[in-house]
Amino acid sequence: MSVYKKKRVVLIWLLLFGVLLSGCAGKSSLKDDSPQNEQVSAEEKKSDSDIEETVNLTEQAENTVLTDSFDLSDIPEYSGSPYIPVNGNVPDFTREDLTTDSFETYSELDELGRCGAAYASVGTDLMPDKKRGSISKVKPSGWHSIEYDNVEGDSLYNRCHLIGYQLTAENANEKNLITGTRYLNTEGMLPFENMVADYVKETKNHVLYRVTPVFAGDDLIAGGVRMEAMSVEDEGEGILFHVYCYNVQPGIAIDYATGGSWADGRTASGDTRKDEINNHETKQQKEKKATYILNTNTNKFHKPSCSSIKKMTKANKKEYTGSREDLENTGYDPCKRCKP
Amino acid sequence: MILIAVVDDDYGMMFNRRRQSKDSALRERVLSLAGDGKLWMNAYTYGQFSDSDGSAICVDEDFLAKAGTGEYCFAENVPLDSCEEDIEEIILFRWNRKYPSDVRFAIDLGDSVWKLTKTREFAGSSHEKITEEVYVRV
Repeated sequence: MSVYKKKRVVLIWLLLFGVLLSGCAGKSSLKDDSPQNEQVSAEEKKSDSDIEETVNLTEQAENTVLTDSFDLSDIPEYSGSPYIPVNGNVPDFTREDLTTDSFETYSELDELGRCGAAYASVGTDLMPDKKRGSISKVKPSGWHSIEYDNVEGDSLYNRCHLIGYQLTAENANEKNLITGTRYLNTEGMLPFENMVADYVKETKNHVLYRVTPVFAGDDLIAGGVRMEAMSVEDEGEGILFHVYCYNVQPGIAIDYATGGSWADGRTASGDTRKDEINNHETKQQKEKKATYILNTNTNKFHKPSCSSIKKMTKANKKEYTGSREDLENTGYDPCKRCKP
Repeated sequence: MILIAVVDDDYGMMFNRRRQSKDSALRERVLSLAGDGKLWMNAYTYGQFSDSDGSAICVDEDFLAKAGTGEYCFAENVPLDSCEEDIEEIILFRWNRKYPSDVRFAIDLGDSVWKLTKTREFAGSSHEKITEEVYVRV
């Protein structure tokens, strides 16, 4: 981030904090919505009163029943569309979030080196005036350089900007780059970035914009990203969306815990050597001992952090420590949600 | 009627009940096409023309049914497949960008009904290159 931008960010947060202290803004959820707190659960993130304060500025927002923000368990498996709407396409911004001053913030990496939310009020003053620089020195969590013949451009993974370069001109900022598939980058996220960038350029308005990578448990690769945006000056009339983009690559299977990958059985990669390398890595993973939670009724096994465990009855729940391979040999299948 | 529509690389037109994009240079081009003739649209589309000097603009929610022969219709958020028989000519603008979409241009231009007769490109106010295509019935 440039010194100029840093100064603006500090100034904006100081101003907002001042408003909070003075009580002029009434009850504020600014603190709860700061990027550093983005990875808390939906229940922790919003109280009932916060939900009441969530922006209702457009007809659509007014007619939408606001839910408890985002819940990964509500997201269906990928089924052919690179993105799906979340919460009726209404973002979880609060009235206090709207500002016509440009700013950008990026969460600190967590203990596993993973990105959190990136958040900005995108204006023309943040947009780039020169070509993008190199970002190759950044190695986001789960990064692998791996190529497949059936991936556009060959490389399965891209260093995906959370907030695209065309919006805030961030180059090699490790807090803004995740390991994402080519498909996530070009089919999932880019269309939304284009729409926001062209709106800002045409109108000179601002767009409040937040991108949050969604990791299951200790996975190093995000299962997807949540993108929220709302145009500020026209109160969502021009831009309003809340979507989840899948971090998948058709024809390629991904081990989200490690970033390992292999050609999906449904599509031949045509590159046996690469498949063998990845299959070897997967075999090692299978032989490694770990703790899983078993559902003896459905014969599924889960990561201990899986959200499905809460719904499991006590009688069907059993803890197991051992190799994944042994577990599969006894007839258990991995949960499709937490992908143990 | 002469239909005017704007699409992205996937023939998308709208996402979440909002147009994918807009450009003042494209609006000027649409007004100049209509000239002194009638330019029909609904209230949603008129939202982006309200500051224009468009004396030819007729605003009506049922504009596709009311437009007469040789009159222009700028359609953004209405189904088009049901009115295809009444269309004499299509002027299709392309953003040459990929945006999200949940409403797409429903007329198949690749079949034997429509023929591309003219193409021109121009710079938008915020879009690097906008392409204008004219299709007439075969």
